[in-house]
Amino acid sequence: MKRNLLLESSQNTQCEKVVITGMGIISSIGKDLAEFEESLKAGRSGIGILNSSNKPSQSNIGASVSDFSFETKVKSHLQPEYNELLKGALNLGKRAPVSVKCSIASAVEAWIMARLHEKQVYGRRTGIIIAGSNLSCGYQYGLYKDFVDAPEYLSPTYAMYFMDTDHLAAVSQLLGIHGEGYTTGGASASGNVGIINGYRLIKNGIVDVCVVIGAMADLSPMEIQGFINIGALGGKKYWSKPESACRPFDIEHEGFIYGQAAACLVLESYNSALIRDVPVLAEIMGGAIVIDGNRKPDPNEEGEAAAMRHAIESAGLQKEDIDYINAHGSASPLGDSTEVGAIKSVFKECLSNIYVNSTKSLTGHCLFSAGVVEAVSTIIQLRGGFIHPNLNLDNPISTDICFAGRESINKESNIGMSNSFGFGGINSSIIIKKGV
Amino acid sequence: MDKNEIFNIVKRSIMEIVPDIDEKDICPEISMKDLGANSVDRMDIIIQSMKELEIKVPMVEFGNLKNIQGVVDLLYEKKLTFGK
Repeated sequence: MKRNLLLESSQNTQCEKVVITGMGIISSIGKDLAEFEESLKAGRSGIGILNSSNKPSQSNIGASVSDFSFETKVKSHLQPEYNELLKGALNLGKRAPVSVKCSIASAVEAWIMARLHEKQVYGRRTGIIIAGSNLSCGYQYGLYKDFVDAPEYLSPTYAMYFMDTDHLAAVSQLLGIHGEGYTTGGASASGNVGIINGYRLIKNGIVDVCVVIGAMADLSPMEIQGFINIGALGGKKYWSKPESACRPFDIEHEGFIYGQAAACLVLESYNSALIRDVPVLAEIMGGAIVIDGNRKPDPNEEGEAAAMRHAIESAGLQKEDIDYINAHGSASPLGDSTEVGAIKSVFKECLSNIYVNSTKSLTGHCLFSAGVVEAVSTIIQLRGGFIHPNLNLDNPISTDICFAGRESINKESNIGMSNSFGFGGINSSIIIKKGV
Repeated sequence: MDKNEIFNIVKRSIMEIVPDIDEKDICPEISMKDLGANSVDRMDIIIQSMKELEIKVPMVEFGNLKNIQGVVDLLYEKKLTFGK
């Protein structure tokens, strides 16, 4: 592969702006960005029965990527002359767990969009972050029975594949990434934690490009049952009507609905994007993580508000500058009302200028990848000049917040905020600006 | 079970595990390493073959084998001794 290295190494010099030059996605409502955008506009939900061979039940509702063809997706993003990249992707993904396949596929889409296959940056100036943890639960669970019967027959690849870092290893090998790399855990806030770390790597001049992948949460029946037993999972009332089960901010909200997705953002220093002469999709202006010091899964209004305020401050902005919020909006009754309280306390008199929606009403709660999926959703809406609907928002829990309705509307927004709050008191918020 | 059947089992594993391989390249005289199988691939191929043959052999016994024929011979011997 021809490497056209345009950038001189610029070690550790502060960079002015961190921008987005590539995006990729695989989700229940879109196998690529175009399909994802179409679904956001149309208000199409990906939530249905997870396993058609099991009877309908609370544990069998979710938004799955079960009909995802790894080979088809990778081929669709790579022109024939990029045969090496295609072969590499197919080989790395061939026997890998589904979550790794999704990471590879979404990374390829984003890398190509950022034109890094043609106008590459030095390997040592490119970083990679895998946002998410406990990514191999479903994979491990699927092997367990055979393992108990005959441990000797466990594939040696298990020793590589069970670790979250396998995503980093596979994608970095494929794309020739030799800068800094690691995984970031933040429960449901993992995605934002990953983006914020990528932003910091670039801001501090450690890398010029950073691939941030929100990795798919491959849950086993144990995690699903755990969420049911702790009361966090929705579908208590609407278990037989999956399309009505995910109800962020609605009075009938009753918990989150599991969603599968992987998403990738290519973060880049603005300088590097200028030199490479590639389109800039958005700017990450800032972000913040605030910990509650709380072992339990309950949310905290002060912590959430602090994350939003710190994010605005880190972006060098005022609350008046925000005109769109992509809420965490998990449809947890306590979570939704806490977030409403936090948004009200931060934005006060500005509330009527800010549309609020929750992408989770369409994609389900993608858990570890949610922050990256929702950043992609935010950027698509900012660029497309629309606000996607809040599905199933029949009776909002608050009339003080300007919630998006049940259909898309045309609206030019400039600066969006995206929130993600995780079990264990992890609050995060990022600020995204349209274009530069 | 004869050695030819065992060879086919090993060949199927090689086709599944080793990237970019042409079936006609797989012959008993060649080593898995020469076919492009790295150390993890080779262990994977052997374990998968043992699973299909329903035998269990300590991996260390496969250490000094020259080529695929050597692997097939050892699997055949073990199958005769321990297999159903």
